[in-house]
Amino acid sequence: METPALTRRHFAGLGLGGAAAAASGGALAQAGPAPASPGQPGPLAAAPVSQAGLGPRLTLHAIDNFHGTPAAGMVCDLAWREGDTLTPIKTVVTGANGRPAEPLLADAALRVGQYELLMHVAAYFAARGVSLPSPNFLDRVPIRFRIRDAGQRHHLPVLFTPWGYSYYRGS
Amino acid sequence: MAGISTHVLDTDRGRPAAGIRIDFSVLEGETWRLVKSVVTNADGRTDQPILAPEEARVGQYQLAFHVEDYFRRRPGTAQADIFIDDPVVRFAIFDPAQHYHVPMLCAPGSFTTYRGS
Repeated sequence: METPALTRRHFAGLGLGGAAAAASGGALAQAGPAPASPGQPGPLAAAPVSQAGLGPRLTLHAIDNFHGTPAAGMVCDLAWREGDTLTPIKTVVTGANGRPAEPLLADAALRVGQYELLMHVAAYFAARGVSLPSPNFLDRVPIRFRIRDAGQRHHLPVLFTPWGYSYYRGS
Repeated sequence: MAGISTHVLDTDRGRPAAGIRIDFSVLEGETWRLVKSVVTNADGRTDQPILAPEEARVGQYQLAFHVEDYFRRRPGTAQADIFIDDPVVRFAIFDPAQHYHVPMLCAPGSFTTYRGS
């Protein structure tokens, strides 16, 4: 049996040229520092990634709605949650296409339960030279969600600016 | 007016979300201290401000929205569709002279917040 990571790359390369390009040309396009003002948005280099045909997994896509780009370099702490008790699972960093290199969780690691993804939003914008109040309105943003069927794919898009955010069960 | 206020909207049904419990906390050191729990009224707002102007200080604040009970009470909602899990919004008052309106727009599968007005 192939690893989930191999399966995902294999499918992305087959199905969508743009998705494959996200790992090569897209990375180059986004490699420099993001623009410091919304007037000069960087390129949205990655085409949508289809997950059709893949096994159960939890995937993340972080979109910077201030610059109009995928959010590269966003630090995210994933934790298992029971009430107010958090058990850290892993810390990931998004790549040039706004996605971590691997699914947050896949196959047997995807379990029914409550989760929290803590996104380091203030650090992300500070690293891009965005002028923020001190302390910023948003700092580390908790994204709480629940997996009710570990047999399904779960996509978690998070759209954010320094002043707000949105997340939903995507596809 | 300064202070903190909120407004909870059920964007799935296009109406204010009444009867949602909100826990309001302040960060003291490393610990979130519960200040009070309030319940949204028929307009999706709270009868009193979350934080009154004279109580506003620079600091970190938290609103925990207990939406799951609301969605489970709501007719016609499958529990399997409730993806968002009692969202928590953490934000800072950086200037106590300003007002912080922090609305939350929710559906079983999505959540949005922002600095409103």
